[in-house]
Amino acid sequence: SPALKFEVLAKCSTTKARASRMHLPHYTAHTPMFMPVGTMGTIKGITPGQLETLDCHVILGNTYHLGSQPGPELLEKAGGLHKFMAWDRGLLTDSGGFQMVSLLKLANITEEGVEFENPHNGKMMMLTPEMSIGLQNSIGADIMMQLDDVVSSLTTGPRVEEAMWRSLRWLDRGIKAHKRPSEQNLFPIVQGGLDERLRTISAQELIKRESPGYAIGGLSGGEAKGSFWRMVNLSTDILPTNKPRYCMGVGYAEDLVVCSALGVDMYDCVFPTRTARFGNALVRTGSLALRQGKYRDDFTPIDSECDCSTCKQFTRAYLYTSVTKETTNCHLITVHNIAFQMRLMRDIRTAIVEDRYPQFIRSFMKTRFGKTVPRWIVDALQSVNVDLTVPDETGYFASAIDSDFQKEPNV
Amino acid sequence: MDVKIQTEPFDARFPNVNQTKRCWQNYYDYSKCVAAKGEEFAPCRRFMKAYMTLCPNEWIEKWDVQKDEAVAKMRFHFETATTSKAGPRKGMIMINRGVQGKLQVDTPSFLKYTRHGMQPHLVPEVATGINTLPPITRIQIEDFLDERDLEKRSFKSLREFARLGEDMVVLDTLDPTIIARTARSAEKHMGIDSEGGVRRLVPTAFAQAVNQLDPDVVVAPADFVHDAQPSLTQGKRISKSVARSIRWLDDMLAGVAHAAVLAPVMGSLSPELRAASVQALSTRSNIAGYVFSDVALAPSDRLWALQQSLPQLDATKLRCMAGASAPDMALRAVLNGVDLVDSSYAYAVTEQGWASAYTLKGADMPAHVDLWAKSMADDFGPLVAGCTCTTCSTHSRAYVHHLLNAHEMLATVLLQAHNLYWYQHFFVQIRQSLSCGSLAEDAAAFFEHYGPSAFEELDRVAEQTCSPTTKVQHQRHA
Ligand SMILES: [Zn+2]
Ligand SMILES: [Zn+2]
Repeated sequence: SPALKFEVLAKCSTTKARASRMHLPHYTAHTPMFMPVGTMGTIKGITPGQLETLDCHVILGNTYHLGSQPGPELLEKAGGLHKFMAWDRGLLTDSGGFQMVSLLKLANITEEGVEFENPHNGKMMMLTPEMSIGLQNSIGADIMMQLDDVVSSLTTGPRVEEAMWRSLRWLDRGIKAHKRPSEQNLFPIVQGGLDERLRTISAQELIKRESPGYAIGGLSGGEAKGSFWRMVNLSTDILPTNKPRYCMGVGYAEDLVVCSALGVDMYDCVFPTRTARFGNALVRTGSLALRQGKYRDDFTPIDSECDCSTCKQFTRAYLYTSVTKETTNCHLITVHNIAFQMRLMRDIRTAIVEDRYPQFIRSFMKTRFGKTVPRWIVDALQSVNVDLTVPDETGYFASAIDSDFQKEPNV
Repeated sequence: MDVKIQTEPFDARFPNVNQTKRCWQNYYDYSKCVAAKGEEFAPCRRFMKAYMTLCPNEWIEKWDVQKDEAVAKMRFHFETATTSKAGPRKGMIMINRGVQGKLQVDTPSFLKYTRHGMQPHLVPEVATGINTLPPITRIQIEDFLDERDLEKRSFKSLREFARLGEDMVVLDTLDPTIIARTARSAEKHMGIDSEGGVRRLVPTAFAQAVNQLDPDVVVAPADFVHDAQPSLTQGKRISKSVARSIRWLDDMLAGVAHAAVLAPVMGSLSPELRAASVQALSTRSNIAGYVFSDVALAPSDRLWALQQSLPQLDATKLRCMAGASAPDMALRAVLNGVDLVDSSYAYAVTEQGWASAYTLKGADMPAHVDLWAKSMADDFGPLVAGCTCTTCSTHSRAYVHHLLNAHEMLATVLLQAHNLYWYQHFFVQIRQSLSCGSLAEDAAAFFEHYGPSAFEELDRVAEQTCSPTTKVQHQRHA
């Protein structure tokens, strides 16, 4: 594709993980990568200069929000979102459909598109695949997403199949409407809910379209983790190895490590920046709620191994003092949480390039979970030849527990 | 020194107080005693004997060293060539931290206003992008009193704790932007409001904390009269406030080991009591300067109080003023001979969603640009034409307007970077004008152009509970 060149630099010899370079019109991103979410053309109080220092390669914008404010006319006048927000690295926009279905009460899906009530004037409006692409062409992101017929990952029955086929038809309408294929990439989205047969059909149909990259959608909606990883794994098995794969809405550290082993290259999630607003700082063992009294006299940094500007300067005791009172203090935690995600992705990439990703996974799981690890992780890793239940050369092994989440490491 | 270690006899003053506090109290009493009566005065030795038994040796050594260093290094130094009692003047503050080198602030200037030790909206790496800010930071102890009284918090030095770099640190008690206060003071403590209820700031305990927090300069606590309304008992109240404040100042002078102490000038609107306050201060030679903190009074009354007392003060010492941050007030304060105000005004402008545009001489400039205005929506120029701040050189009015409408926090970050840069530039202009001898003339033109109500952002902030980026519609500035 003229607007994207994907170079696989290294493949893990055990798992499906790979480290790659993705050349985009505005920036060459390194994958696997995490993309922070900047809904309204900004990431929670962080300047574009800080984002560069934090080593962010691509950030996200939300088409639904940007379409209503500042609106496509203004963005075109500004010369696109890159210029408007003074960000000269990679940008990715979603289709706007997911936001509509999740944020608006009155969203009605027809073959034509998503019908919804404009929250500003109460009038019924329609978002069609053509309009979604038109909006995204005005925003000018390096990567655009197709409008898809979103159903909850908990939905079952004929509605899932209907949505899968409709998403395919909408993709073809979107491809036709795309006016800037030499400057912007359009990614289709694998759908099909938690049904293996539908996912397989969806992925096989998509790859016929020869798109520059593919997304795995319709997950991270509260489904059991056991279904989640199986759908991701099935999708990456079908999708071509020479194109980037983007798993939407994924951002917990353990999910990033597991999905990268399953062959995913790109992720996004509001979690790291959102949780910072509540005073939660991410660490490899989980997260620290800095508003808790136990940090009052703790004069150590959030994470002594983190090289972010917050950890180099401030103690937990200081952050505790004002974390719920000053927005500036939340900015300090936002900086750390973005740095945490970026460092994790760098570590993942380095381990893949040095072909020691299985060892990295094991040491990560040891730190994060200790002696017990959620079963879905054990199973997912087993599917790519990493068996946590068998001792490694350091003697570490773990047993599976039947809960999807484990808050603290079990040491 | 030959002191036998023995169990300290019962001290009637401290029936139930722990060892630590008694140790400090005796060390403090000894210093105070010696300062007043000299080392030869026998009764002072009683305190020394007590603290030698009560205090760990390392503590005594540390406190003794701090006292000696203070004398040896002359950490704080202020100099002005002007000898006249009142009127605008240039000066220079110097801090000598030995191996760490020297710092210099040219006055008239301002203290960088902070909230919880941080510049409003700006994390350090963004704040340091604003060039030429004076290397002097103001911190108010009230920001650190929530939930626990001061003596129950184990602090490291403030510089270390709030990451103030090499800055000169001035520790005051109260936030100058808050006017309405409910906590009242009593005979032995200053009452300070906090989210965890009223905290008691006991001057002797505060002096001890100051030695730990290690600011370069500390403003002594004072018994401020918060109600601006005159009442029948006002005279009595003010008289009490003057007496208490002097007593607390003495507690600080005796207990603070090596920070320079600034003394609040008290007396509210009573000419006699103002004179009494100044008279009491004139006999204390070891204060480093004066502070006018009549923030509860109307601006004109604040100036009146300043004009009453300032000409009677020792002209070789530093003069600071709280509640004089707005450009017109700051200029009037400087014309009267004030050396330092604070930058809280820049923060107040930001909280309105505005960008400062006033200049000392640029008579065609408005006081500010309102970034909420509809006309900003498609204006891709800088916030203020010709501004070289980090915001204006990268971002447009249209972008900031969008961020405000979207209630995004980057709006206040970008505005604060501009407004603070603009504030320091105003002081560059003041110092230049003062050097050229044209300040009186320039100031007259400035007041003429902007009128009496161009800079009321701090008053708005005092009434406004939420930032412009808050999502709560009715609390936003429209
Ligand atoms: Zn960090
Ligand atoms: Zn500017």
